[in-house]
Amino acid sequence: MIKLLIRYFNLMVITIFALIVLSFLLPYLFPGDLLTNVSGIVPQSELQREALAKAYRLDQSYFSQFQLYLSNLFSGNWGVSSVSQLDLLEEIKRAFPATLELVIYALLVATFVGIPVGFISGLKHHNPADFSVVTFSIVGYSFPVFWLALLFITIFCLQLQWLPISGRVDLLYEVQHQTGFVIIDIWLSGLDNTKDAYLNALRHAILPTLSIAVVTTALFIRFTRRSTMDVMEKGYIIAAKSRGFTQRQIFFKHGFKNALIPILPILALQISTLITNAMIVENIFSWPGIGYWLIQAIYQQDYPAIRAGMLVVALFVLTLTITIEFITRALDPTKEETARAAV
Amino acid sequence: MALLDIKNLSLYIETANGVVKALDKISFVLNEGEIKALVGESGSGKTLVVKAIIGALPDYWQIKADRLTYKGQDLINMSYEQRRQIMRRDIAVVFQEPTSSLDPSVKLGDQIEESIPPEFINKGWFWERNKQRKDIAIGLLHKVGIRNHKKWMNCFPHEIPSNVSQKIMIAMALASEPSVLIADDSTRSMESTTKTQVLRLLVKLNKTKNLSILFVSHDLLSITSIANSMTVLYCGQTVESGKVRSLLKRPLHPYTKALLDSAPSFQISLPSKSPLKALKGTIPSLQNLPTGCRLGPRCPNARKECVVAPPMRNIQDHQYACHYPLHFPSHKKHATNEMVLKSAPEEIAGKKDIYD
Repeated sequence: MIKLLIRYFNLMVITIFALIVLSFLLPYLFPGDLLTNVSGIVPQSELQREALAKAYRLDQSYFSQFQLYLSNLFSGNWGVSSVSQLDLLEEIKRAFPATLELVIYALLVATFVGIPVGFISGLKHHNPADFSVVTFSIVGYSFPVFWLALLFITIFCLQLQWLPISGRVDLLYEVQHQTGFVIIDIWLSGLDNTKDAYLNALRHAILPTLSIAVVTTALFIRFTRRSTMDVMEKGYIIAAKSRGFTQRQIFFKHGFKNALIPILPILALQISTLITNAMIVENIFSWPGIGYWLIQAIYQQDYPAIRAGMLVVALFVLTLTITIEFITRALDPTKEETARAAV
Repeated sequence: MALLDIKNLSLYIETANGVVKALDKISFVLNEGEIKALVGESGSGKTLVVKAIIGALPDYWQIKADRLTYKGQDLINMSYEQRRQIMRRDIAVVFQEPTSSLDPSVKLGDQIEESIPPEFINKGWFWERNKQRKDIAIGLLHKVGIRNHKKWMNCFPHEIPSNVSQKIMIAMALASEPSVLIADDSTRSMESTTKTQVLRLLVKLNKTKNLSILFVSHDLLSITSIANSMTVLYCGQTVESGKVRSLLKRPLHPYTKALLDSAPSFQISLPSKSPLKALKGTIPSLQNLPTGCRLGPRCPNARKECVVAPPMRNIQDHQYACHYPLHFPSHKKHATNEMVLKSAPEEIAGKKDIYD
């Protein structure tokens, strides 16, 4: 186990290093003034330019620039946005939790709807209920996310006027930014009408969550259903039946775990797709997350912001993927170290 | 007393080419305390019979039978719950492939403990109960000849050799102290030492626990060494059935004869380097089954009448389904039971030495 941990940690460190090198190279590849790209500041005078170039070691070797970049990165000095002149780390800290919150909501919906539905339709497959579930999942999977979001807005916001179009919570509620997660922030703000604020935040979250959750839920259903059907035909399930175990016992002791083991990594890897989708949907619902923020940065050619945003999102997806790989690998007993050389 | 009584069991499978009759009127009886062998080459439907008995066939396959009973209780029409209870306590199965019949994600010790019926645990507190369960599991492993129980109980199924997992399967089957053990080709792909151990274990259980065993196999040598009676299947039809000794001595059906001839161990007089006898052709696929007697196209004795399926006929305990059985004085058409009994009492008396 320790060996495994070290191996995965090693993999993560090396990949992160490669990412950091790539992000270091970006400002040299972007068009425009290198100094502005690196620092985010447009020099007003020759004097300032020289001072900045000295500060960012542009007169020294690339290696020494990279050293500076690394030390800045780890000390939290991520530079400033070339448009707003705000500290990038602070900006990202503000925007990223919002995306994460949306992803978590969607993941919860997909997990608690997709997996049980997948199990049920896999256990009782080939009947009308199962067919309708399959139909839903195919239709759901085929929807383009952005179009679904627009459709939701047309139907539920403009036509029916049930739900708000944009934002996370009404300005009416004075929610201070503390953690970036609106649920926690409302609680920490200690408003008089906390309940209303929660309700309001929920109403804001429904549509963006749904529009990215539909695709993922459909995927979860399909994977779980297929895997359940495969597992329930396996020899050990027939053997368990022949031992006269109850259906419950067979499913929960033997079916459940074995159906989940092969699909868990696939399902967990959907989180990165979910983040991508969330970044798209944020723009439609003006959800102040990292996707919205990055798109704004791209529009305004804010290269330092693009660099930092890209690094954060990539780091997050990478860490997540490797952690999931590690967990599934650690959980699966058939993949022992010794089993690698099967005879 | 008949424990398992199967009469005219037929199985219909829907395929793309229409309905196929995979089992055609299979009949046999497993008596108490008996070791019965079910013989046939691959594809003869042995495993299907086993699955029909334990109810592991898909729902959309149609089973029809005059009788499929356990101790007189109808297995086909009983409720799911009743059947489950019978499977839980009375009938145990050891499957063909031991490794795939064990849950890959659960430790072996836990799987053995799971197969112990809850009625056997009578202690009060949960730690006492766990201890008792563990003790029973260890006892079971010792019973099937696994000494090193500590080593195997903490293993996962993929970590153990297949002979150990086969023994563990037998241990799990014995956990509920069943009265019938169905061993579905359990000695397949085992080397001979392990096979002998397993067979010896089965015989011992049969002797000491009065366990009735349905031994499904194509390995004639192990069948003849342990079984009392045997039923030969060919392509989903019962071909011949009777005491092992009488079948070996005087097979009445051409297929049984061919089966015995193909095993050199049964031919003492076989000169060295002589070719083994075998029927021409192969077992037909389910899509192209011959009508009537399914051996027809391959049978050396086939005549015009063989397109009609022959009924089961009896001579003493010996049953066969053939219009023109071997070793018969004259190839009388429709040599029915009564005719045989009427016409040849002295003949049977004369053959007594052959029968025993």
